[in-house]
Amino acid sequence: MILVFARWGLYCFAMTSSSSDSRSLSPVIDVHGLAKHYRVADKQEGLASSIRGLFHRKSRTVEALRGVSLTVEPGEFVAILGPNGAGKTTFLKLLAGIITPTTGAATVLGHVPWQRHDDFRRRFALVMGQKNQLWWDLPAAESFRLHQVIYRLDRQRFEQTRDELVELLDVGRLIHQPVRELSLGERMKLELIAALLHEPEVLLLDEPTIGLDVVAQHSIHGFLRKVQTERGTTVLLTTHYMKDVAALCRRVVVITHGRILYDGTLTEIIDRFTTHKIVTLDFEQPPSETTIAGWGYPCERDGPQVRLRIDRERIAETLPRILAGESVLDVTVEDVPLEDVIADLFRAGRDEYALAETASGGQA
Amino acid sequence: MVRYFQIFGTFVVASLIRDMTFRLNFVLECVTSLGWMAMNIAFYLLVFSYTSEIGAGSGWTKPPFFVFLGTGLIINAIVQAFFMPSAEEFAEMVRTGGLDTTLVKPIDAQFLLSMHRVKFSAFANGLVGVALVAWGVSRLDTAPTTAAWVLYPLMLACGVAILYGFIVMLAAATILMGRNQGLYDFWFYITNFSRYPAEIYTGPWGGPLRMVCTFVLPILLVVNVPARSLALPIGTGDVRLIIAAVVAAAVMLGLSRLTFQAAINRYRSASS
Amino acid sequence: MSGMATFSWQQLLPSWHGWTTMLSINVADRLAHRGDFFVGTLFRFLPIVTQIFLWTAVFSAAGSELIAGYSRNDFVAYYLLTMMARSFSSMPGLAGGIARSVRDGSVKKYLVQPIDYVGFLMAARVAHKLVYFAIAAAPFGLMFFLCRGFFPPLPEVPTIAAFLATLVMSFLLGFFLEATLGMLGFWVLEVSSLIFVYMLAQYLLSGHMFPLDMLDSITLSSSGYSLGDLVQLLPFQYTAYFPCAVWLGKIQGQELVSGLLVEAVWVVVAAVACRIAFLRGTRRYSAFGG
Repeated sequence: MILVFARWGLYCFAMTSSSSDSRSLSPVIDVHGLAKHYRVADKQEGLASSIRGLFHRKSRTVEALRGVSLTVEPGEFVAILGPNGAGKTTFLKLLAGIITPTTGAATVLGHVPWQRHDDFRRRFALVMGQKNQLWWDLPAAESFRLHQVIYRLDRQRFEQTRDELVELLDVGRLIHQPVRELSLGERMKLELIAALLHEPEVLLLDEPTIGLDVVAQHSIHGFLRKVQTERGTTVLLTTHYMKDVAALCRRVVVITHGRILYDGTLTEIIDRFTTHKIVTLDFEQPPSETTIAGWGYPCERDGPQVRLRIDRERIAETLPRILAGESVLDVTVEDVPLEDVIADLFRAGRDEYALAETASGGQA
Repeated sequence: MVRYFQIFGTFVVASLIRDMTFRLNFVLECVTSLGWMAMNIAFYLLVFSYTSEIGAGSGWTKPPFFVFLGTGLIINAIVQAFFMPSAEEFAEMVRTGGLDTTLVKPIDAQFLLSMHRVKFSAFANGLVGVALVAWGVSRLDTAPTTAAWVLYPLMLACGVAILYGFIVMLAAATILMGRNQGLYDFWFYITNFSRYPAEIYTGPWGGPLRMVCTFVLPILLVVNVPARSLALPIGTGDVRLIIAAVVAAAVMLGLSRLTFQAAINRYRSASS
Repeated sequence: MSGMATFSWQQLLPSWHGWTTMLSINVADRLAHRGDFFVGTLFRFLPIVTQIFLWTAVFSAAGSELIAGYSRNDFVAYYLLTMMARSFSSMPGLAGGIARSVRDGSVKKYLVQPIDYVGFLMAARVAHKLVYFAIAAAPFGLMFFLCRGFFPPLPEVPTIAAFLATLVMSFLLGFFLEATLGMLGFWVLEVSSLIFVYMLAQYLLSGHMFPLDMLDSITLSSSGYSLGDLVQLLPFQYTAYFPCAVWLGKIQGQELVSGLLVEAVWVVVAAVACRIAFLRGTRRYSAFGG
C-alpha cells in the first residue's frame, strides 16, 4: 500500500517538475567558470627511466577544463566541438555528475550534478559512443528490462516508450539478439533507445556516431531530430563529424584547451570564419597561369577545369570579369567545406593558447 | 528495498540466460571446479590415512574436519557465485569507463558494481560442500544440538559478510590504483589462511598469527566459527568467537562501505 | 613432411640483437610493474607459512616421525623447493597467448616473416625468466635463508649439478608442454578450459600439491603397482617433484641417472610434439584461410 502511494507520488512529482521545467524560461543547464584539473603520473619510457622511476615518480597537473561558462535553454540542441583532448568529454562527465570539478559551479535541471540526487539522475541520460551500457552477451531487451527496474518505470508506460523507440529506429528484430552479434551501428541504435527509455529531459551524447557508416549516421540523425522535437529534450552532443552538426544543431560551442573559443550558431561560424569561396570553372580554352593567379588562389587544375579560392568580398566583381574575358562552359561556387572551417578555428585556438602560454611563461 | 530485490532478480535472470547461452562453458566450469575440489578432498583423505587428527587434541578428527571443509566450500561457493564475478570485472570497468555509465544511474553504485553478475557454476561446489557437511555430521561422536543448527546458518552468513567486505575493499583499492592484477592474488593468499582450522596456528609464531587473523584481519573467523559451532561441542571460548564473528561482520561491512565511498569520491575528483 | 625440411635448429636461436631487445623490453615491463612484482613474489610464499603449520599439526597427531619417508622439516623444505622448481617450469600466459594469437589472427605475421614462432616464444620466455630470477632472487634468498633450519645439510656437488640439470630440463619441458597445449588453438576454438584442466592435472600430478611418494602407499588392486608408480610414468613429475626429490636426496645413484635420462627423453618428445602441432596447425590454418 505504502509502495503504491510512493510510486504515485513520484509519478506526480515527475509530471509536474518536467512540465514546469519545459515551460519556464530558466536555463536547463547553467555553468559558471567550471574548471577541472587532475594529476597524472608521467609515463616512463625505456629502461633507464624505468629504473629512475623506481625511486620517484613524476606527476604533472593536467588542466582538462580551464573555466567554462555556458547556459543552455530548454529544448536546445547544442554541438560541442573541439580537437581531441580539448575537454569535451570531461565537460559532459561534469554535467552528468560522474566527476566533481576543481572549481566552478553548475546546475543541470536545477540540481548540482555532482551531488547526484536520485531525482536528478532519473531525469537525464548519458550515451558514450565508445562505451557499452548494454549487457554484451544478452539481448538488448534484457538490458531494457533492467533499465525499467532501475529507473522505476511504470510497466505500461515503459513498454509503450520502448515500442515507439524501437519502431522509430526499425530495430524490432534486433532487440532479441545478443548484443555482441550486432554491428556497431545497430548497437548504437539500441544504446540510444536504452538511454531514452526513462524519457530524460536532458540527453548528453559523447560522440554517438563515432565509427558508424553513412546510412547508420543518417538514421540516427533522423531519430534524434524526431525525438528531440517531439519531446522537447535538451541535447548536448560532442562529435568530430560535421555532418552531425549540420543535420542536428543550430548552436555550436567550440572548446579548445579547456576553454570556450566560440559559442554561437553554425551559420555565424561560416559567416565569421570563412574568408573564401571555392569557384570551379570549366574553360573552353584554359587561360595561362598568370591570368588565373590574377583572379584568386588556384587550388587545382585538371585540363580545362580550374578550382580557385577567391576572397568573399571580391567574388562579386571577379566572377563577371572572368565570364566576360574567357569562354566558360560551366561554373560552380561553393562554400569552403565545414571541416576546413572548423579545422582553421581549432588551429586559431591552438595558436592563441600557445601565445598565452609563452606570455605567462615569460612573466614567471 | 523492494526495488533492489527486483533489480537483483533481473541480474539473476540475466546471468542465467547468459550461462545457458554458453552451456558448454558452464559445464566445463562446473567440471573443473569439481575437479579442483575433488583433488583437495583426495589430499585430505590421503593426509588422514597417515594421521588421525589435525593438531593433537584439537578435536579436528576426520568427521569434524570434513564438516570444516564442507563449510569452507559452501561459503566459498556463495562468494564465488554472487560477489567474485562482479569484482573480477571491476578493474576492467574502471579501465574502459564502464564505471562512468554506472555512476549516472539513480541507484547505489556499490550494489550495482558488486552484485551485477551471478555465476551459477559456483553452486556445484556448494552442493558438494553440503554433502560433505552432511557426511561429516552423520559421523560425529555427538550429534549437533538444536542451538548449533540455529547458530550454523547465522555464523555462515557472518563469514560471507566478512569476505564480502574484503572484496569490496579490494574493489575500492582497484579504483585507487587503477588496476587489480596483484590485488586478487592478495585475496587468494590472504583467504588461504582461512582454509585451515585455527588450532594449527600454535607456537611462538602461530599464536600471534592466529590473533592477528582473528581480531585484526578477521579471516580466521570466516570458516572456523560456523564449522566449530556445528562440528565441535560449544565451549566457553566459543561464545567469545561467536561474538567476534558478529562484530567482525558488522565492522567489515561498515568499513567496506566507507572505503568504497572514499574511492568513488577520489575517482570523481582524480579523473577527467 | 616438406614443412619439416624447412626447419633448422638455428631458427631456435634468435639473433643477438633480438635477445637484447627482448631482454630490455622485459626488464622495462617488470620495473614498470615493480609494485605488483614485489608484493606478488612475497605473497607467493604465504601458502608456505600455512603449510608449515598444517604439517606441524598433522605430525603432532600422527604418532610417527616420518610420513611417506618425509619428516616435518622435509615437507616444508619440499614445498619451498617446489616453488623453486615451479618458477622454472611454470609458463604463465604461454598457452593462452598462443591460443589468442591464433584466434585473433596475429599468428599470421610469424608465418610471413622470416622468424620461427616457437623460437621467438622461447627467446621471449628465456628473457622473461632471466629477468624474473634477477629480481626474484632477493625474496627467494630471504625466504630460503629464513627457512634454512628446515633443510637437510647441503648435498654433494654431483647432486647439486643434477638438481640444476633437472631445473633446466623442467623449464624446457614446461615450455614445450604448454606451447603444445596452446597450439591446440589451431583446432579448438576455446582453449582456456583445456588450459585450466591442464593446470589442475599439473598441480596434482607434478607433486606441487604433495610429495608424490605419498601415493606409493595406495596399491592398485592385484597388479602389484601403486598409484605412485602410475603417476611417475607421466611427464608432469619432472616439473616439480623430481627436482625437489633430487635435492632432498630421495633419488640417488642409478635411479638418478635413469631419471635424468627419462626427463631428457620427455623434453625431446614434448619439443617434437610442439613442432608437429605447429607445422600441422599452420598448414591447416593456411588451408582454411584463417
